[in-house]
Amino acid sequence: MTTSLWRRHVLPFTLLAGLLAAATLAGDYLLHRLALVWVGRYLGIPGTLLIIGSLIYSLRKRKYIAAGSPKSLLALHEFAAWLGSLMVLIHAGIHFNAILPWLATVAMGVNVISGMVGKLLLDRSRLHVQGQRERFQLRGLSKSEVEQAVFWDAVTFDAMTQWRKVHIPIFIVFAALALGHIISILLFWGWA
Amino acid sequence: MKRIVKMVLAANLLAIALLAFVYPQQMVGPGKLVAGHQKLEADCFACHAPFIGASSARCVTCHKPADVGRLTTAGQPIAKPLTAVPFHQKLISQDCVACHSDHAGVKRFRQQGRFDHALLQEEAAGQCQECHKSPADSLHQQISGNCGQCHNRQKWVPATFAHNRYFALDRNHDTRCVTCHVRNDYKRYSCYGCHEHSPASIRREHIEEGISRFDNCVECHRGADKHDIRGGRGEGTGRRENERSRKKHDD
Repeated sequence: MTTSLWRRHVLPFTLLAGLLAAATLAGDYLLHRLALVWVGRYLGIPGTLLIIGSLIYSLRKRKYIAAGSPKSLLALHEFAAWLGSLMVLIHAGIHFNAILPWLATVAMGVNVISGMVGKLLLDRSRLHVQGQRERFQLRGLSKSEVEQAVFWDAVTFDAMTQWRKVHIPIFIVFAALALGHIISILLFWGWA
Repeated sequence: MKRIVKMVLAANLLAIALLAFVYPQQMVGPGKLVAGHQKLEADCFACHAPFIGASSARCVTCHKPADVGRLTTAGQPIAKPLTAVPFHQKLISQDCVACHSDHAGVKRFRQQGRFDHALLQEEAAGQCQECHKSPADSLHQQISGNCGQCHNRQKWVPATFAHNRYFALDRNHDTRCVTCHVRNDYKRYSCYGCHEHSPASIRREHIEEGISRFDNCVECHRGADKHDIRGGRGEGTGRRENERSRKKHDD
C-alpha cells in the first residue's frame, strides 16, 4: 500500500519538485554559458513580483477580496509562485554571498515544497486512502483489519498533512527574510 | 496559527535582525571586502551613503585624489605601486565606483583589471608612452609615439593598420619604417629615402611615360613591381586594369 501511494502520488510530486530543481540548474548553467550572469542578478525582481502577485489567491481564500474565481486564482497562485520561485532560485544560485539571502532562499524552498504538497498530494492521497478503506470493507474485512491494511498509507497521509501546516508560518518567515534582503539592497545598492 | 508558533517565529526573526546589525558583513554584505578595507567590515556607512550606495565623496575622505598611486592613505610612499605611472590625477572625473568594487560578490560581475581609456583626459589619452612601454619587437622599437594610428583605445590587438592595403612590404622594401616615414610620422611617407629612388630619376621615368602627376606614389604603385599599377584609387588588380589605370594616370 505504501508502495502504491508512493508510486501513484509521491513520485509525481517528486518529479515536479525535481523539475523545479532541474530548471534552476539549467537556467543557472545557461546564464553562465552565455555570459549573461548579470541577468540572474536582476531575476529576483520579477520573481518577487510574481510571488507577491500569487498572493491574490490567499486574499481571496481568506475573503479579504471578493472578486475572482477561487479556482482560477488557485491555478494562478500555483503557476505564479512556481515560476517566481524558479526566478528567485536562479537569482539566488548565481552567486551566494550573505547569510540573510541564503536563509530567505531556504525558507522559500521549504515554502514551495509545502505548497506543492498541498497541491499535488493531499487531496489525491486522501481520496486514495479513503478508496483503499472502502475496497477493504467491501471485501468484508473488519474495521481493525482495514485500519491495519491502510496503516502505512494513513501514516504517510498524516505526515503530509503536518507538512502542509508549515506553508503559512514558513511563508511569513520567507517574507520577513526576503524583506530584510530587499531593504539591505535598497539601503546599500549603488543607485547614484 | 498557534500562539507558541507565532512567538517562536517572532523570536527567530528578531534574532536574525539583530545579527544583521551586529554582523552586517556576514549577514547582508555581498562577499568579503578587499584586504585594504577589511577594517571597515562592520562599518558599512564608511563607504555607503544610505539609499545612494557607495559614494566617491566618502572614498576621497581617505584616498586623496592627488595621492592615489603615489602615497598610501597614511601618507607613506607606495612600496609596490600597481601601475608604473600614477594616472588617477588625469581622469575626466573622480568616479571611484565606476572602476572599483570592494566586495568579492560585486567583483564577479565586473571585469577586473580593465581600464577604460575613455576616462582619461584627452591630453593624457594621447600620451600612451606615459603609461605603456613600447613592445620589444623590431617594428615597435623603431617607432616612438603615434600609437593611435594603428591601435585603438579599446584593445591593443588587433591593430587596425594593415600596411599591405597601402603598400606591400616585399623583399625589395624590407626596410626600417623611418626610411619612408621620416621622424616616425606615419601620416606621411617619402619614396626618396632610399638609394633606389631619387626625385630626378622618378621624374625622368614618369615624364618619359607622359605622366605629369607623380607626387603621390602609392596612389598607383602598391608594391615593388613598377608595372603593377593599381589605379588612382587602388581598386583594380592585374594587367588589364593596369592598362586602364595607366591611361587614366597619363591624362
